[in-house]
Amino acid sequence: MVANVICPVRIAALHAPCRQGFFGIMASFFQHFINGITLGGVYALVALGYTMVYGILKFINFAHGDILMWGSYVGLFTYNAIRGSAGPGAFSIFAFFVAMLVSCVFCALLGMSVERVAYKPLRKAERLAPLLSAIGVSYFLSNAAQLLFGTQSRKMDYPFDNSPISFLSVSITPHQLMVLAVSAASMAFLIFFINKTKTGKAIRATSLDQDAAALMGINPDRIISVTFAIGSVFAAIAGMLVSLDIKIYATMGMMLGMKAFVAAVVGGIGDIAGAVLGGIMLGLLETFGIAVLHIPVGYKDSIAFVVLILILIVKPSGILGKNIREKV
Amino acid sequence: MVRRKMGLVLLVASLFALFAVSCNKKSGSNVSSGKGEERTVKFYFIGPLTGDYANYGTYCRDAVEYAIEEFNRSEAAHARFSVQLEALDSAGDQNKALAQAEKAVADKSALGILGPVLTGETFSVAGMCQNVGITVMSPSATHKDITDTGDYIFRTVISDGLQGEVAGAYFAQELKYKKLAVLYTMNDYSKGLYEGMKKSFESNPGCQVVMTETCNIGDRDFRTQLTRLKSSTAEAIYIPNYTEEMAQILEQASQLGIKKPFLSGDGFSNPIIYDNAGAYTDGVVYVAPPQVKASTLYSAFVNAYSKKTGHAPDSFACNAYDAANIYIDAAERMLNRGENSREAFRKQVAATKDFAGVSGTINFAPNGDLIANQGVYKVNGKIPSFLGEYRVVNNKLQKAN
Amino acid sequence: MNFVLLILIYTCLFSFMALGQNVITGYGGMLSLCQAGFYAIGSYSVAILTTKFSFGFWPALLVGVAVAVVVGILIGLPTLRLKGDYLAIATLGLGEIIRNVINNWQSLTNGPMGIQRIPMLSFFGYRINPYLNKAGFLLMLVVILTICALLVLRLSKTRIGRALEAVREDELAALSAGINSTVYKVLAFSIGAALASIGGGFYSVLTLSISPGTYTFMMSVIVLCMVVLGGMGNVLGVFLGALIIQIISYLPELLNLTNLIPPQLKEMLFGIILVVMMIFRPEGILGRSKRHKFERGGV
Repeated sequence: MVANVICPVRIAALHAPCRQGFFGIMASFFQHFINGITLGGVYALVALGYTMVYGILKFINFAHGDILMWGSYVGLFTYNAIRGSAGPGAFSIFAFFVAMLVSCVFCALLGMSVERVAYKPLRKAERLAPLLSAIGVSYFLSNAAQLLFGTQSRKMDYPFDNSPISFLSVSITPHQLMVLAVSAASMAFLIFFINKTKTGKAIRATSLDQDAAALMGINPDRIISVTFAIGSVFAAIAGMLVSLDIKIYATMGMMLGMKAFVAAVVGGIGDIAGAVLGGIMLGLLETFGIAVLHIPVGYKDSIAFVVLILILIVKPSGILGKNIREKV
Repeated sequence: MVRRKMGLVLLVASLFALFAVSCNKKSGSNVSSGKGEERTVKFYFIGPLTGDYANYGTYCRDAVEYAIEEFNRSEAAHARFSVQLEALDSAGDQNKALAQAEKAVADKSALGILGPVLTGETFSVAGMCQNVGITVMSPSATHKDITDTGDYIFRTVISDGLQGEVAGAYFAQELKYKKLAVLYTMNDYSKGLYEGMKKSFESNPGCQVVMTETCNIGDRDFRTQLTRLKSSTAEAIYIPNYTEEMAQILEQASQLGIKKPFLSGDGFSNPIIYDNAGAYTDGVVYVAPPQVKASTLYSAFVNAYSKKTGHAPDSFACNAYDAANIYIDAAERMLNRGENSREAFRKQVAATKDFAGVSGTINFAPNGDLIANQGVYKVNGKIPSFLGEYRVVNNKLQKAN
Repeated sequence: MNFVLLILIYTCLFSFMALGQNVITGYGGMLSLCQAGFYAIGSYSVAILTTKFSFGFWPALLVGVAVAVVVGILIGLPTLRLKGDYLAIATLGLGEIIRNVINNWQSLTNGPMGIQRIPMLSFFGYRINPYLNKAGFLLMLVVILTICALLVLRLSKTRIGRALEAVREDELAALSAGINSTVYKVLAFSIGAALASIGGGFYSVLTLSISPGTYTFMMSVIVLCMVVLGGMGNVLGVFLGALIIQIISYLPELLNLTNLIPPQLKEMLFGIILVVMMIFRPEGILGRSKRHKFERGGV
C-alpha cells in the first residue's frame, strides 16, 4: 500500500531538475502573478464597499466584513437548498447565481438597517463615536452568527468543475478566472453607476457636501442608505466568491475586511479605481514579497501595513486620491 | 446634571452589589455532601467557546458534557454519586483562561479542571493551579513542557515532541523518505510538531528536511508557499497544522498540480476535513492517537457524540471524553476510600492505570504526561485506514500489537 | 474571592493602557490603536530580561519602558502627521507589526512558543506570589497606578498639557501660536507607550508565562472602548471604563449563570452596549473632566 504512494513521487523527482532554469523561473513567476492578482481581486471587491461608505460618511465601517460573513452564510443556505444533491454543472451554476442574488438582497437590507440603527443617530457626533459603534455592530454580528450557525466552518461546493487549466506548467482555476472577471465587471459597473446615473451623481454630491446636496433637493438620508446598500451588495458578491475558496466561519470577515480597508486607503479612499488598484497591488505585493523577495511568511500581514504607512507618509490621500488642502 | 450623577452612582452601586452577590453565592454553594447517599462532585471545563478558536473548545466541551451526561444517566452510577459540570469560556485568551480558573478554584466543591484547550492558556492556568492545588487535565495542549509545571498537571494528549518523534521515525524507516518538505503554522502546536518530527527524522542517516515553509494562524491562502514547495526536491510534504488550514492547503495544492504525497499530524483526525478538502485527502498518511476502529467503546462514543452534536468527534474530543471519564473514575475511587479533597483526587488521578479509553489504553508518566503509542493512518479516498500502533525506542520505530 | 481580585487586577493592568490611551487620545486628540503593541513590548522586555539575562524585575521594567518610549518615538515621528481614521489604521498596523515581530524573532522572543517560567516579582526582598497573594499584588498595582494617574493629572495642568489641548482643538491655530505640534504629539504618544508598557511588565509577573497570541488588536480596541466609555480626557472615567468592561466580560461568571448564558450572548451584549452608549452618551459616562471644559470656555 505504501509503495503506491511513493511511486509517482519518485517519477516526479526525476523530472524536478527540468523545472529549474529560465523556463522554470518564468513559469513560477507567472504562477505567483496569477495567484497574487486573484488574491488582489478579492481584496478589491471588498475594498469597493469600504470606499463607497468612506467616501460618503468619512468613517471606517468596521462591520463591513461581518456583513460579508452573514451574506456568505445566507448564500450558502440558499445555494444548498436549491442545489440539493446535484453535482457540478449548469443547474448548480444556476443555483449559485440565485443564491448570490438572495445574498445581495439580504446584505443590502442588513447594511441599510445597520446604518439606520447604529450610524444614523451618530452623524453629527464626534469622529470616534461611529467608529466605536461600528466595532459594537461587528462584535454583535460575528457572535450572533457563531451562536446561530455554530463554530464549525462550512464549505460551499464549487458549482462547476474547478480542476485547474494548465498551460506550460502554469495553472489557473476556473474559480480564479471568475474572481478576476467579477472584480473587473464590478469596478466597471460601479464607475459607470457613479459617473453616469442620476443616483450616482447624487452620491457624489452628498459625499462632497451633505448640506449643499440637501439644498439642491437631494435627500442625503436616502442617498446614504443607497450607498450602504450598494457597498453591502459588493460585500455579498465578494463573500460568495471567497466562500468557494476559503470556507465560511463567523470570524472570516475580520482580517479580510482589514486588508481590504488597507487596500482602499492605499489606492486612495473614496476612489473606485483606487480601491481596485490598491486591492490588486496588495495581493501582488503579498504574493511576490514572500515568493520573490523572500520576506518570511510570518511577516505577511505586516507587508500590507508597511505599504500602507509608507504610502500614507508619501501621499496621505492614497495613490489615486485627490489631495485636499486643509481649509483654514 | 444631578439626575445623571444619581444614575452614575446607582450604576456603580449596582455593579458592586453584583460583585457582592456573586461572592456570596459562591460561599453559599459550597455544600460538599459528606453524608447521605446522594453525593455530588463538580468539575469545571475551561476552553475557547467564542472567538477564532471556538471550534476546538466546543468540540472538547461537547465531549466532556456527553461523558458526564452519560454517567449521570446510568442508574448504577447514579446510586453512588452524580457529577456536575460547569463550562467556562476562555475565548482562547490567557487572561480569560486564568480568570476562569480562579473562578473554578473559588468554588470549594470543584474537584478538578478539564482543559484548557490551547497551549498558551494551559501554561498560565497550570502555573496557578499547581500553586493552589487543583488537578488540571488538558485534552489538547501539546507543548512538551506543560506537564513539567508540576504534579497537579495531566493531559490526555500526547506531547507534540513525542508525536513528532513517531512521525519522523515512521517517515524515515517505514516510508523510506530521504527528503521532506514542511509547511507549518507559526504557532506553538504546529511548530512543536515540526521540531519534534525534524529532530527524529534527521537522526536517521541521509534523511533531511530540505525545505521549510511557514504560514500564519488564520491564513487561507497558501498558494505562494505551495508554489515554492512544488519545485523543491522533497519527496513528500509534512503539514502538521489545524484541520481548517490543512483542508485549504490540500485543495490549493491540487489546484496547483502538486503530486507529492502529504503527511500530517493529529489535526487530520477531524472527519470534517473530508467535507472541506474534497477529494484531495486521498493518500495522506497521518499520525494521531490510535483509535482502534473495531473497539465498541470508540464506535459507541462516535455514534452518541454525532447524535448529540450533529458532527463526528475529532481526536481532541476523544481525548476530552477520556479525560472526563478518567476524572469520574478517579472521583469514584476517592469517594470509595471515604475521602473528599482535591489532594486525594489528584492522587487517584495519578494512580490511573491502564484506563481503557476511546483513544486506546491510557497511563500517566510520573510528571503527568500521557504514555501512549501513536497510531498511523493512511487515507484511501475519504476513509482513513488504521495501519498500526507505533512507538520509538532509541531512535528505532517499533510496532506495538 | 481570588476571582474577583483577579478581575480587579486586570482592571488595573488595562487601566495602565487606558491611562496611556487617555493621554494620546483624550489629551492629544490622536486616534491611536496600538496600545496592545506597547503592552507587548513591556511584557516581553520583562520576560526576556528576567529569564535570559537574569535581570531583577524593576530594572527590567525600566528597560521595558525605555524600549517602548524609543519605539514610540521612532514610529510616532513619521506616522503622527496623519489624522483621524488614517492614523487609526496606521497605528493599528503598527500594533500588528509589533506582534508579527514578536512572533517571528524566535531567537529573542522564542516565537510562537512563548516564554515560560518568568520569576516572581520581589518587592524589597518580599516576594509577591501572584497565585496566592492576589491582595498584595493588587495593592501594589493600585499604588503604582495612583502615582501614574496623579502624574498624568499633573501633566494636564502643565505647559505640556495646555499645548496638547491647543493642538487637539485646533492644530493650525496652535502652530501659529508657536507650538511645535509634532514635538507635543510625539511626547504624548511616548507617554502613552510608557504607561502601557508598565502594565505589560506587571502582566508578565502576574501570569508568569506569556505568548504572542495575547496582544491582538482587539485588545487595543477594547482599551479605546474603555477610555471612550468612561469619558475621554477624564482620568477617573478611565478607571470606571476599565472596570465596567472587565465586569461585562465576566458577567455570566459573576452572576453564576454560565450554564444558562451561551458565551456568545455576552459578547453580543457587549456589542449592543457599545452601540447604545455611543448613541445616547457619546461623551462617555463621566464626560470630559469639568476643569477642561471650564478652561476652554474661559480662554
